Amino acid sequence: MKAVKVDKLIPGMVLAQDVLISRTGVTLIPVNTLLTVEMIRRIASFNIDEVYISEPRKSNKEKDEEILAPVMAQTHHHAVAAVEDIVTNYGEHLFEEQAISGLVGDLLDQVEMDSSLLLNLTHLKSYDNYLFSHSVNVSILAILIGEKLGYSKEELNLLGVAALLHDIGMLKIPITTWDKNGTLTPLEYRKVRNHPLYGEDFLSSKNMSKEVRAVASQHHERFDGTGYPKGLQGSNINFKARIVAIADVYDACISERPYRERITPQETLKLIVSDQKLYDPQLLKIFISTMAIYPIGSLVRLNTGEIGKVIRVTNNQPFRPVLCIYFDREENLLEQPLRIDLSEDQNHLLFIKETLSALQHRKALQQIGEII
Amino acid sequence: MKAEFINPFVGAAFNVIKTIGETEVVKGELGLTSSPIKGDEVNVVIGVTGDLTGQVIFCLSEKTALALASKMLMELSTDSLDELAKSAVGELGNMIIGNAVTALGDKGFFCNLTPPALFIGKDVLVSTKCPQFLIIPLQTKLGALQINVALEDTML
Repeated sequence: MKAVKVDKLIPGMVLAQDVLISRTGVTLIPVNTLLTVEMIRRIASFNIDEVYISEPRKSNKEKDEEILAPVMAQTHHHAVAAVEDIVTNYGEHLFEEQAISGLVGDLLDQVEMDSSLLLNLTHLKSYDNYLFSHSVNVSILAILIGEKLGYSKEELNLLGVAALLHDIGMLKIPITTWDKNGTLTPLEYRKVRNHPLYGEDFLSSKNMSKEVRAVASQHHERFDGTGYPKGLQGSNINFKARIVAIADVYDACISERPYRERITPQETLKLIVSDQKLYDPQLLKIFISTMAIYPIGSLVRLNTGEIGKVIRVTNNQPFRPVLCIYFDREENLLEQPLRIDLSEDQNHLLFIKETLSALQHRKALQQIGEII
Repeated sequence: MKAEFINPFVGAAFNVIKTIGETEVVKGELGLTSSPIKGDEVNVVIGVTGDLTGQVIFCLSEKTALALASKMLMELSTDSLDELAKSAVGELGNMIIGNAVTALGDKGFFCNLTPPALFIGKDVLVSTKCPQFLIIPLQTKLGALQINVALEDTML
């Protein structure tokens, strides 16, 4: 229990004591009430200085998350390491389709268990193993789209494997080229543009299935025909390659790369929508409803001024995610972050007013301690 | 119903529609109608509880709803009222009423909202406990929008 000044109250806090109207001694709001915007303003209107708030109590869901999150982080980490292992043996005899399929099976299980928790992990990465974490993240994102499409477990696994291997052709290109901080030479550029073909050749030599090869060779084709290497258009592009195209662009944009700053999840979504003709419109809609308008990892400001991070998306409510509030109205870091679910009935007086700019986003993440 | 309940809704509608990038909003002449009211193709109903109780109902054509939804969805081309478009229209209504109800708090009326409910279909009739609705017609470049407000002061 702690005393909190009324102007520092945040919706979602829980009263540890009755709030009394001092003049009359009448109870205004009873103990254990979950505060709403309405109640906070009502308390303020009685010139009450401070009230007693309980330590946030954890729901069973949150307790589950605390147990599950480290397990997931380990699987994600393991998957990245496994991809690294598989591809660094590129060109040698070691390339086991079964191992890759098993890896995707693990990711599939995790998506099924808690996709929000898994998506939170896709933000934690550094670019020294970019290609490997990117491959895993694209696989996760593609699986999420496949799930929405009602894919069977087998189809999801195939999609996940294809997504995991979509960029394997990049290994034929020296690492100095794809991590280059500056303009590519014409030769380097040509090589990068050819990575889908390198990928297809490699996967053919390993007798991988037609769909897996098609995803590698066509994931840079664009719906309006402006992609490469062949300039295929619309339904001439393999369907799974159209899925991976969206997942690939999204993860590439939210990742930090040597040649540019990281952009926020919402800016990424906006960027993709601003070029919507490049993608299959039905798949793009599915992707947006899956990621939601404020994707996981977004930092947003509420209409009441508090700032929080999107930690969970709500099914069918793309504008009303679950937030973890880190900053109060005056942008002071809270001692203890507070979870609030905007989709709950009592929270509809709250809405997301704006997302933080990339600069504010970065600064906020530093204060929270998520990046250095 | 008091006039002081109405201005916050007009102000909120102007503010919110402007924040989604529609700069021109024109208010038509306010009107009064008795319950039930006849809806338009898309109707968003939001309940108000607390010091004031009642309903606010947004009525708009499907075309206007789709245009506004597209604005809410980062200009995503939106040609049918699918789940994504419906949630966008519902959230727009939620934001306007949320703003208005916050402004009512400044006047000493503390209220909360119920989640928006969407009713699609032209011949919808909505009747409420409150016998009269105040009609706020708004015109934007994306189309017309009508906000119907029926609120009662529970403290009287």
